[in-house]
Amino acid sequence: MVINLKTRIWLTVFSIVLLFTFFTLFYFPAQQRKLLIKNYNTEVQNLANSVALAVNIAITDQNYNNLGSTIKLVKDDPRLQFVSMVQYDTVWSNDHRNFQVKKMIFKTFPENEHPEPDVQSNNSIIVKRGAFNTPVISGVILLAFTTKEINESQRKIRFASLIVSGIVLFIGILLGLLLAKKISIPILALRDAAKRVGNGDLTQRVNNRSGDEIGELANAFNTMVDDLSLARKELHETNVSLSSANQTLNNTLGELKSTQTQLIQSEKMASLGELTAGIAHEIQNPLNFVNNFSEVNKELIDEIEHELNAGNKEGVISIIRDLKKNEEKIIQHGKRADAIVKGMLQHSRSTSGVKELTDINVLANEYTRLSYHGLRAKDKTFNAVIQTDFDKTIQKINIVPQDMGRVLLNLLTNAFYSVNQKKKHHEKGYEPTVSVSTKKIYDKIEIRIKDNGMGIQHKVLGKIYQPFFTTKPPGQGTGLGLSISYDIIKAHAGEIKVETKEGEFAEFIILLPYN
Amino acid sequence: MRSSPGSRGLLIILLFSMSLFAKSQESTLIAVGNQSGAPAAMKLSELRAVLMGEKQRWKNGNRIIIALMKTNTSVGKTTSARIYEMSGDELNKFWLALVFQGKAQPPYFFNSTSDLENFVAQNPGAIGILDKPITDHEIKAIMIDGQKTF
Repeated sequence: MVINLKTRIWLTVFSIVLLFTFFTLFYFPAQQRKLLIKNYNTEVQNLANSVALAVNIAITDQNYNNLGSTIKLVKDDPRLQFVSMVQYDTVWSNDHRNFQVKKMIFKTFPENEHPEPDVQSNNSIIVKRGAFNTPVISGVILLAFTTKEINESQRKIRFASLIVSGIVLFIGILLGLLLAKKISIPILALRDAAKRVGNGDLTQRVNNRSGDEIGELANAFNTMVDDLSLARKELHETNVSLSSANQTLNNTLGELKSTQTQLIQSEKMASLGELTAGIAHEIQNPLNFVNNFSEVNKELIDEIEHELNAGNKEGVISIIRDLKKNEEKIIQHGKRADAIVKGMLQHSRSTSGVKELTDINVLANEYTRLSYHGLRAKDKTFNAVIQTDFDKTIQKINIVPQDMGRVLLNLLTNAFYSVNQKKKHHEKGYEPTVSVSTKKIYDKIEIRIKDNGMGIQHKVLGKIYQPFFTTKPPGQGTGLGLSISYDIIKAHAGEIKVETKEGEFAEFIILLPYN
Repeated sequence: MRSSPGSRGLLIILLFSMSLFAKSQESTLIAVGNQSGAPAAMKLSELRAVLMGEKQRWKNGNRIIIALMKTNTSVGKTTSARIYEMSGDELNKFWLALVFQGKAQPPYFFNSTSDLENFVAQNPGAIGILDKPITDHEIKAIMIDGQKTF
């Protein structure tokens, strides 16, 4: 159950008042009674002592005036229950060796009271003793006062306390209600306003002009809502601005994506161009064979016709044998061309993304040749020494051959480009060299592609894997080759790193997991 | 030391004479009273009743005030013995009981007869006992059973 603020304040005030009432009704009267009884005891004791002293004086000095006035004072006191004179007599045994003190009531006022000598105080009376000792008589004065007056006083106090408590309780309840109202109403107004503000209504304000803490709270709340309103307005404006900027960015991103797609396609096409040149060179040889042998066969067919007209059967048979050999050559080179075309088609196809067991040495060798001849197709003057060192112990590894071929093609194309550039700008005697090697190192396959070309500048080393970063002149490179290569190697859970010295060499090292 | 028969007889005579003297001393009590209140003559029984607190006021309405010689004086002793028929201690206890219970006004005790006489003279309704004729003429002697002394 949730107790609201108003009830809580009221309960607090009521509890305090109740506590005060309890004290007023019970604690204070009890304390008052204790005090009264204490004073009463003292007073009665003093009176008993006075009577005893007066008795002493009366007997020893034969002056009874003091006793008369004292006893009159006692007798006139309405609280008196009785006053007795107890006489102590020493009674000796017959042999006069032992004695006992005999207590006997000598006189009592009023005479109708018959107290025992050893009477004690109880709830209704307070008994005090005052000793006297004279040559004539010894003993004590027993003075007993009723407690009626105390009880009456206490009753009056309790009655007064009850009246006071009732008044205090009434005032307390009123005060509690007023206080609860005074505190809770502004706070409840604040709560309601805060709820509405929380629901988005920032027009809410609290009207409290009191100078107390609640007034300050209301002012702070109003200021806060003002600030919130302002902040929301600014936020809205910023949101609108951001939305517009976001739209622009989305458009730009769309354009960038489109451009990226186009660039990737360009890169792919450039790669394909490199390949095409190499492939064209590869196909040229078998085609030459096919063409040459076809020409020879054509001549041989003419000779067969001539020999048939001459009736030289043996000559025809001999020519047909040559013809057959040539056809076999044509078929052989045709198949070779077919294989090359199929390879080209495989390269041009979009990657399947499916890994398959691939001989990395064959792949590296094939793409070395393709990239070299691709460059040579564009620049007939280009020559380079190609050094290969393939580790024959390496078994087929699980890779996506198209993707890994693209990596090798990119790196090799860059290597050949670099040595070609260096050759164009350097002294004679420079021998462009590109070396490709594979090696099994524990559970990894290492592929190294090294060239003795221009090397890579130290300042751009950190950027070479960034998309669209290129050191090639405009139009000669997309800047995506190394970036794509990096992604492919990472997709194969491998590593790619470079070692270089500017102006001397660059060596890319690929590490692939060995199955 | 042994006394002779003559001196022994003299001693006996002396003691007897002293006894007679003491007897004569006891017997000469005089009741005195203030000019106002106390009657000029009373019976001994009335005097006893007054002195024992049995009567509180005189006929004229004055409160009876008792004046006595202290019991350690010879007059006091005689008074105790002749009037109260008590010893001095018994008289004290008697008055203690009366005063304590509020049954009588307490008597006034004096060391000298002159003080007693002065007191009686100054307090209307006062009555006292002396052993010699009055010297203060502001007080009066009260005849007891028709005699000045008793």
